[in-house]
Amino acid sequence: MLSYLLKRLFWMVPLLVGISLISFLIMHLAPGDITTSEAGFDPKSSEESRQKLREMYNLDKPVIVQYGLWLQRMVKLDFGNSFASHQRPVFWDSKDKEGNITPGMIKEALPITLLINVLSLGLIILIALPLGVISALTQNRLPDRSITLFVFLGFAIPGFWLALLMMYWTGVMHDWLPISGLHSQGAEKLAWWQYAWDSLQHLALPVFISALSGLAGISLFVRNGMLDVLHQDYITTARSKGLPENSVVYKHALRNALLPLITILGLSIPGLIGGSVIAESIFAIPGMGKLFYDAVLMRDFPTIMGILTIGSALTLIGNLLADLAYAWLTHVYAGE
Amino acid sequence: MVLLVGLLGACSQSSDTGVKTSVNYDADYAPEDGGTLIDATRGEPSGLIPMIAGESAASEVAQHIFSSLLRFDKNLEFEGQLAESWQVSPDQKIITFKLKPNLKWADGKPLTSADVLFTWKLVTDDKTRTPYGSDYKLVIKAETPDARTFRVSYAEPYAPAINSWAGLDILPKHLLEGKDINTTAFARNPVGSHYYKLEKWRPGEQITLTRNPLSSQGQAHIERLTSRFIPDEAAQFLELMANNIDAMTLSPVQYARIFPARPELQKKFALYKELGNSYTYLGFNLKRKPFDDIRVRQAINYAINKQEIIDGVLLGLGEPVASPYKPGTRWANPNLKPYAYDPAKARALLQEAGYQDRGDGILARNGKPLSFTLLTSQNKQREMSAVLIQRRLKEVGIEIHIRVLEWATFIGRFIKTSDFDMVVLGWSLALDPDQYSIWHSSQQAPGQFNFIGYNNPRVDRLLERGRMELNADKRTVIYHELAEILLEESPIVYLSAGYGLQAIHKRVKGIPDPAPPAGLGNNTHEWYIPQPLRRTEITP
Repeated sequence: MLSYLLKRLFWMVPLLVGISLISFLIMHLAPGDITTSEAGFDPKSSEESRQKLREMYNLDKPVIVQYGLWLQRMVKLDFGNSFASHQRPVFWDSKDKEGNITPGMIKEALPITLLINVLSLGLIILIALPLGVISALTQNRLPDRSITLFVFLGFAIPGFWLALLMMYWTGVMHDWLPISGLHSQGAEKLAWWQYAWDSLQHLALPVFISALSGLAGISLFVRNGMLDVLHQDYITTARSKGLPENSVVYKHALRNALLPLITILGLSIPGLIGGSVIAESIFAIPGMGKLFYDAVLMRDFPTIMGILTIGSALTLIGNLLADLAYAWLTHVYAGE
Repeated sequence: MVLLVGLLGACSQSSDTGVKTSVNYDADYAPEDGGTLIDATRGEPSGLIPMIAGESAASEVAQHIFSSLLRFDKNLEFEGQLAESWQVSPDQKIITFKLKPNLKWADGKPLTSADVLFTWKLVTDDKTRTPYGSDYKLVIKAETPDARTFRVSYAEPYAPAINSWAGLDILPKHLLEGKDINTTAFARNPVGSHYYKLEKWRPGEQITLTRNPLSSQGQAHIERLTSRFIPDEAAQFLELMANNIDAMTLSPVQYARIFPARPELQKKFALYKELGNSYTYLGFNLKRKPFDDIRVRQAINYAINKQEIIDGVLLGLGEPVASPYKPGTRWANPNLKPYAYDPAKARALLQEAGYQDRGDGILARNGKPLSFTLLTSQNKQREMSAVLIQRRLKEVGIEIHIRVLEWATFIGRFIKTSDFDMVVLGWSLALDPDQYSIWHSSQQAPGQFNFIGYNNPRVDRLLERGRMELNADKRTVIYHELAEILLEESPIVYLSAGYGLQAIHKRVKGIPDPAPPAGLGNNTHEWYIPQPLRRTEITP
């Protein structure tokens, strides 16, 4: 088991290097660099100053040399500084001599995106599990059909459209929920529990919208898994032994049906750090999606690479965790 | 869903930040101090040091924090800001600024000519990552004879110099000396000398400024300015409708269609328009055939209906332009009129240039058809203008393919390499009339701004003379002549200059209407919010 783990971990290194090299090359295929996107079209700015900038960031060197320089920093887990005019660190906070802390860009954007995604994933599982089970138990009858219709509607509705309608309904027509942003004006003067409640209200719509589109996948997955299991011989055996239906469904069937869900959850780990540009723009949430999108438009290479590297590392780790959990659970079940 | 319904139910009683609708916002009130103005911007500043940050989101906030030596008054003439007076020597090579007495930084330290000198050194320092150093590098000597005098010498007269000193925000030497200006924490915690100082910056959410009691310019009325960062235009509008923000920039559709259809909005908000500092144009690649032929350029100019573009794209909220200067300012030549829409004349000019219909409706000469690719950036208004141009040019026998490109690709791949036939782009203009970098024949290298390849010795001479002449009246004559040549030669087709459109809550009083030439933002310190009209704020 341990040697398997070590082997998997070892193979992640060349895989990561390969992924980052390909990402780096593709990123440089797009025309333009930071000097074309930033002040690139202000007649008051001069070409010499832009050339100076290119040299400062080594953009005048061949791509492969630039990659080498990046990799050299990366092995020390140094994500570098943004090319944008603020030159903020991409990931880690930096501290100057006076002790002023400049927060890292990803470090600042990550918590809020993680919070929204974790809440939304939690909400999805909370709702999709019972929906899937009910669907399976009432296969092809009215409840199944309406649940399927509902989750597909949620999947098919454009999120930005529904978001705007919900904002209008709950924020303009009624004063139920805040429209956008993360905090109310003057929220810092509130007691901590009021502050938390205020934040929760601000998060309600974004989490709801992002969960709605994810319901379809998980609930259908649970439904089909359940149907598969319910037709297995051991379920028939369990039933014929005279076990109560509840016990058959929830103890024997559901547990086995949930096993493949672990793979799905493992695969969704990298998705947790990715935000939706559209949702973040509409709700004015300073998250990862907007950070990445702006970095791409600006050709801010260190930030793009930082986010891609973290994303690919998390994908690999997520796969590994899913495999391990799978192996462990099979082991436990087999042991029973 | 359950959670959401729970939230909805529970918070229907939550804080009501709006004022009751029974308040009459149209009543008159005397100016008074206090209150908070909340507006929305689409982008977050990258930092608040203007020479480093560069983007408009930054300068919009920084303009309330920092002061320059000079500023523009409401009629776009210079007036002193930190400077009490300024003098140009008879040979026009030396400018002497006299600072106002007893100037202070927001932290209480005195503001002297040493700070001005320090700022000049910063902006011209090769280590400073700013694209705006070139104007200031022309200064051959900068000196401070005493604490209130700052003197700069130029090798030869440089007319844009005065304007450049109105654009340089003075930074505090005592806080920045010995620091790396590019990465200093000062960018997120600035100390200035203007009406406001930074109260709180919540990253990704909003910036709040509060009045600076030590302001070098006297006191503003409004106590607090808050700018919320809301990237989406529709979300901004919803916040406006819900009375959560007081001001936002409107699109022509919001201004001309949505507002008139909603009386409840008109009750609360006043609409303003001001002429923006930019215009949209159709540019030709003059190094490519057939755009080297003035008749072809003029024909295209006649074939395009500019009023149609203003009506269709800007919903009438714009003006035609005939010179590269803001209409109504002294630099814009009032005698010039845009090319009229005249397809018959366009066809005649093309025929004169030797183009014949080959039977498919597209004109050609020597087997070469008039078929071009028109490039533009991802900007709805430019795309729509391009489509209208495409249609009008088709009517005179010119075929256009439109290609819409992402900005960095557009600039990096096509503009820098001059690899295009035609472009629809815009110029935003500084208030100084010098446009050397755009029209002078020496400015055609990759990355420079005469990328259309315009080359006219007469224009070159005028541009050179205009830079050397500090007398405003004499300069006016020069730039009027320049604009005349540009219109005649038609190296670009001026399409339109759109209005800046604003909705501002009626609780904000003291806003000039109509907007003066310098725009609405010129006198924000005189705006005020009467007590009875203020929003209730959260108190601990």
